[in-house]
Amino acid sequence: MISMTRLMGASFLLAGLLALSGCGYNDLQGLDEDTKATWSEVINQYQRRADLIPNLVNTVKGYAAHEKDTLEGVVQARAKATSVQITPELLKDEAAFKRFQEAQQSLSSALGRLLALAENYPNLKADQGFRDLQSQLEGTENRITVARKRYIDKVAEFNKMVRYFPTNLTAKFLLHLDEKANFTVADEKAVAKPPEVKF
Amino acid sequence: MRLMGRAGWAVLAGWLWFTLVPSLPARALDVPPLSGRVVDLAHVLPPATTAQLSETLQAHESKTSNQVAVLIVPSLEDEPLFDFSHRVATTWKLGAKGTDNGVLLLIAIKERKIRLEVGYGLEGVLTDARSAQIIRNEIAPKFRAGDVPAGVTAGVQAVLHTIEGTYRAPESPTAVHSDGEVIGNTIVAVIVGVVIGLFFSRAHRVLGPVAGGGLSFLVAPWVIPALIAGAASVALVSLMSGLGQASGGGRRSRSGPFDDTWFSTRHGGWGSGGLGDSFGGSGGFSGGGGDFGGGGASGDW
Repeated sequence: MISMTRLMGASFLLAGLLALSGCGYNDLQGLDEDTKATWSEVINQYQRRADLIPNLVNTVKGYAAHEKDTLEGVVQARAKATSVQITPELLKDEAAFKRFQEAQQSLSSALGRLLALAENYPNLKADQGFRDLQSQLEGTENRITVARKRYIDKVAEFNKMVRYFPTNLTAKFLLHLDEKANFTVADEKAVAKPPEVKF
Repeated sequence: MRLMGRAGWAVLAGWLWFTLVPSLPARALDVPPLSGRVVDLAHVLPPATTAQLSETLQAHESKTSNQVAVLIVPSLEDEPLFDFSHRVATTWKLGAKGTDNGVLLLIAIKERKIRLEVGYGLEGVLTDARSAQIIRNEIAPKFRAGDVPAGVTAGVQAVLHTIEGTYRAPESPTAVHSDGEVIGNTIVAVIVGVVIGLFFSRAHRVLGPVAGGGLSFLVAPWVIPALIAGAASVALVSLMSGLGQASGGGRRSRSGPFDDTWFSTRHGGWGSGGLGDSFGGSGGFSGGGGDFGGGGASGDW
């Protein structure tokens, strides 16, 4: 009799172990980590862009110091963009996420104006340092596009699991995971139109 | 009848308008198959140049493991240059998995655009600025002079020269690494199965070993190691729990299970090597699993 109850207990334990793989516990944990990693890459690339800007501003100043408005616009937009940071833990905060996007977007357009201005200065355009910075900036914009796309895909996958049955139960009661904020279509369009970089 | 016909046509036209027209601009250019290291869909390179470039690129890969490919398309068909080039590079998976040492040189004839797409692992040497210089100083001038083959050759030479010495081809194929991993995972699976199985065999003499074996089967990588790991844990658990009971009772079964177990795990490790190396060997060219993060540069002529 005792061995029978033991057997029952053991089978329940085994069943529990097997069910754990069916309720998406591991998948959710893994995807949660993946979204954090892809977000870190997004931040990383935006930071890389911010790091390029002081050099770019100085180079342009050397040829077009009197274009104060545009230059200061870039400096201010950069200061604002770097002050809004989102740690992976804050990704469920829609409002903070929106602020982050807006700050980065206004930096994009300020940069666009600066590069458009460079078109009027042939000496600046021919400067080797400026050309290198320009290609680095262009490369960084591309990397941002890739990083954002990878984040968008991962979050979509994660959010699906958080909402689908039965994994939503695991997400809600066991892991306390919420849906994460994603980039919206409107600003995808804004990003798809990068600052004009012409050679 | 006629009215019906007219209405029918209107419906058909409307349907065509809504289904076809919006989809036209969205239609992305297909990624061409990776037929070789130099894929010239615009037919601008003489066969001799293609052959020579392919040979150079192959020699470079066998020396350094870097995978460099050239794609020349007649037109981008309105797709942005970067989107297409990144899509091709990630579909072809140039470069080895892990080192991500691939480079794609893409040329669009109609749009007169050039792009160097650089894999993660080569971004450090073939920087964006260096890529832009190669396009601007090596490729574009020759293209402008009308000599496409010379431009492509000069560009490839400059790329190879820049990335030479970054990586070296591994001494032996990567299968060795995955072999070790499979053996390790199989051993872990057996240990997990045995521990759990022993625990359960206190509850039941037959079900315990079976549970342990089943668990090993689930944890082990791939089918053959899994079967072996499962069998090994069943044998080990029954043996060990048998011994435990034997010390109190009187039954024992010794040599049989022992031999079985050791032979099995060993065999599992070596046998799986065959699965691991199916990757190398073949004569055709295929990407090694490299990834691209958007590095490189664009230019025109």
